Amino acid sequence: MIHPADELPIYRQIMRQITEAIAVGRLKAGEKLPSHRDLSEQLVIAPLTVKKAYDELELLGFLETQRGRGTYVCARLPQPDPVQQMQQVRDTARKLLSQAYLAGLRYPDVLQVLEQAGHALAAPPKEEEKV
Amino acid sequence: MTPVLDFRAIERSFKRNVPVLNGVTFALEAGEVAGLLGRNGAGKTTLIRIAIGMLFPHAGSVRVFGASPTADPVGIKRRIGYVAEDQVLPAGSSVAELIALHRYLFPRWDGALERELLDRFALPPASRIKHLSKGQARQAALLCAVCHRPELLLLDEPAGGLDPAARREFLETSIQLLNREGTAILFSSHHMNDVERLGGRVILLDEGKVRLDEDLDRLREGVCVALVPRASADDPAALERVPGCLRVRPVSDDWHAVFRGEPDAVQASLVTALGVNGIRCARVPLEELFIEMVGGNRGEPV
Repeated sequence: MIHPADELPIYRQIMRQITEAIAVGRLKAGEKLPSHRDLSEQLVIAPLTVKKAYDELELLGFLETQRGRGTYVCARLPQPDPVQQMQQVRDTARKLLSQAYLAGLRYPDVLQVLEQAGHALAAPPKEEEKV
Repeated sequence: MTPVLDFRAIERSFKRNVPVLNGVTFALEAGEVAGLLGRNGAGKTTLIRIAIGMLFPHAGSVRVFGASPTADPVGIKRRIGYVAEDQVLPAGSSVAELIALHRYLFPRWDGALERELLDRFALPPASRIKHLSKGQARQAALLCAVCHRPELLLLDEPAGGLDPAARREFLETSIQLLNREGTAILFSSHHMNDVERLGGRVILLDEGKVRLDEDLDRLREGVCVALVPRASADDPAALERVPGCLRVRPVSDDWHAVFRGEPDAVQASLVTALGVNGIRCARVPLEELFIEMVGGNRGEPV
């Protein structure tokens, strides 16, 4: 599902959902993605927006386009810099905690929220949320 | 390549010395999609009518497929699809008669597309136009506007007054056309969510001029809104002097200012310029941006 009024532009939302799906193994290496046209009609967004999301992910090394055949998840996914990656996760964790404390949650509550989020990510996608 | 639509310094007024359009310039390439935004009375309808040759500009020039829309009106109209905000269809004729008329007028009429859309919209061919709902009438107008497979589609508030489901169907059809035909589309709309879905370019008309003309995603990621406590600047000029400022308006206890740039960088330059804290900067959805760019002042300056 995409949300036009989200803080992120639509092409960024598609990028995020694809990388999330790859991260949890819902999209596997070598798997074929829907065509620009199919995804654009499925999500009711402009085909160029889908193309833009795919192009950006190709530049980042997540997807590859085989001319005339379609777009696939790369067999070899990019290996990010582990130190930088860890730093980003730490930053996000700090933001999450401060937001949770502002909302009146305590540490154990946050752990529970994390656990729920883990289950939600691992759950099989609903039909309209494939990507 | 010749643009499909080219406005140059268009001026038009309806009352003396009250210009509706006051120097509008932009061009649309083949296959390009652009959302025409602006408040009521900003001149969107006037501009679209000038494109189709229903109105003359008082100054400037308009070219459609490289020619004046009034030089070969029939030839040009065969390559354009047009749905007006207040489309007047012959009330007494049936849907089938309306379609037959258009099929006769347009040599390139696509019968397969006609049947597909009739089916999708579930339009009853025997019904008289006056007995159709508002949504059905608009769908009939869309069908007549696209079945000759135009190279340029002009949609003036196509979804005005439609319920969300009918609006979505309208959007789905537009997107299929984009996919299949690569039609260039200029559409005016007040539904910012629809504009985000159709993507492409955003052209904002304000006070007779083009205020913004930019790729939607670049606009969404390249512009942010700053909320500055009113007490930290005596007048808007203090904010307007900060580089990248597009607009400032007072809203109750704050100044709302639109800036080009990353939120963090804008915040830093505002803190430096004004020497105060308590400034917040964020990227915003198109609807908020629209309001910040053309919305009125609220609350008297302190």
